[in-house]
Amino acid sequence: MAVLQVQNIEKHFGRVQVLKDISFDLEQGQTLAIIGSSGSGKTTLLRCLNFLETPDGGKISVHGETLFDAADPATQKEKEVRKKRLHFGMVFQSFNLFPQYTALKNVMLAPELLAKNNPDYNKKATSEELEAQARKLLQQMGLADRADHYPHQLSGGQQQRVAIARALAMKPDIMCFDEPTSALDPELTGEVLKVIRGLAEQKTTMIIVTHEMAFARDVADQVIFMDQGVIVEQGDAREVIENPKEERTRKFLSRYSGS
Amino acid sequence: MFWTVTNAMLEGMGTTLELFALTLLFSLPLGLVVAFGSMSKWTPLRFLSQISGAPKWFGWFATFRPIKLIVDFIVWVIRGTPLMLQLMIIYFGPGLILDNNIWGSGNSGRFIATVAAFVLNYSCYFSVIYRGGIEGVPVGQREAGQVLGMTKSQIFFKITLLQMIKRIVPPMSNEIITLVKDTSLARIIAVSELIKVGESFMKSDGLIWPLFYTGVYYLLFVGILTLLFGYIERKLSYFR
Repeated sequence: MAVLQVQNIEKHFGRVQVLKDISFDLEQGQTLAIIGSSGSGKTTLLRCLNFLETPDGGKISVHGETLFDAADPATQKEKEVRKKRLHFGMVFQSFNLFPQYTALKNVMLAPELLAKNNPDYNKKATSEELEAQARKLLQQMGLADRADHYPHQLSGGQQQRVAIARALAMKPDIMCFDEPTSALDPELTGEVLKVIRGLAEQKTTMIIVTHEMAFARDVADQVIFMDQGVIVEQGDAREVIENPKEERTRKFLSRYSGS
Repeated sequence: MFWTVTNAMLEGMGTTLELFALTLLFSLPLGLVVAFGSMSKWTPLRFLSQISGAPKWFGWFATFRPIKLIVDFIVWVIRGTPLMLQLMIIYFGPGLILDNNIWGSGNSGRFIATVAAFVLNYSCYFSVIYRGGIEGVPVGQREAGQVLGMTKSQIFFKITLLQMIKRIVPPMSNEIITLVKDTSLARIIAVSELIKVGESFMKSDGLIWPLFYTGVYYLLFVGILTLLFGYIERKLSYFR
């Protein structure tokens, strides 16, 4: 059974419809790339999954549990939403690290706050355990020696890798990346893509909104091409990118050929 | 004579300092409350927009934010009138309108009324600085906290607050330094602060230099505050 089921998602901003009847499934351990031009609704879709936007219609289920149902207001209460969004990890285009904390503290903060809700919370034991976990994640990101640096002391690529570690620390079922390399120089893009590729090899379930076509083709299992708020084409990543069936997909991809 | 004047002035300085400290003590937190009020998004009539076939002006009522409206009105009145006038209205108003001087008689009554007026006035000014500080923190910071499952109060205290403080130190230092000198307005209702003490030597001894001499006290006080704000700015410079 699919980890994530998205059914008939609709979203309007005022009178503009930005998502129309979006449906797709994602299997455990698979990587889904969402491609499309700016304004096609890719980012809004990702933000809907993370409850940063509330869809006007449709259903979102994870492991068969309905997380969101536009027809059922009970699924939209703030307290409920807070628990449910932990199924998803989110990596932003602009990193959004907390500037007043070190890389290590950025990774540890949210798990620490969450642990406080446990009835058998032990401050010292918990923080030792979480620090070990955070250091391990930073090491996995190739940042073991940057744990005590503040965000402004890190390069963009390093900041984004801290942000990935921070999202992973919450042990989400599905990792979401919103154009994770769009704010980076080409040379820094590589180091972030390498880390994401590593996660794909470890069978992390992921959704990546990206403009890196070669990366989508090589790393993703599935690709969705969106245009003007609808899914135009979806299928096997290599198939869609190398032999698009739809005219609109072909036109979009032709702008990337040669790169 | 110099020492007589200096001693009298230290007493006046005591009153000035007390007014300064009490104003900050109450208006710093109250200003934050006012700031949240002016950012309130509470729309109790929201349901009106869901009535199908409702006339268009229902939509206007649906976006009506009563808390924001009231708070914005108060801030407008307080920032739109002189503190000196507010001080007189607050001190004399209750006695004239209600026929009851709620502040009590004598020096302590005058002082309490002064503190009340200053707290009200400075809360409104601080609220605007706070709001600027809060709105200046990028939305992405709050969203990052949200997707990590933090509660609204965790996001405010663990993420937004320190970034806000860093942003508001320069405008706050301006406002607080202005407060030092605004305390001199208290003499309009005969509170014996520094200027009033300095002036009193004009009437009793025909001396004008004590009044000029008060400037030294203000300068020293502001000098200390300037050093303090510089220290806070340096303390917060470890992040950007």
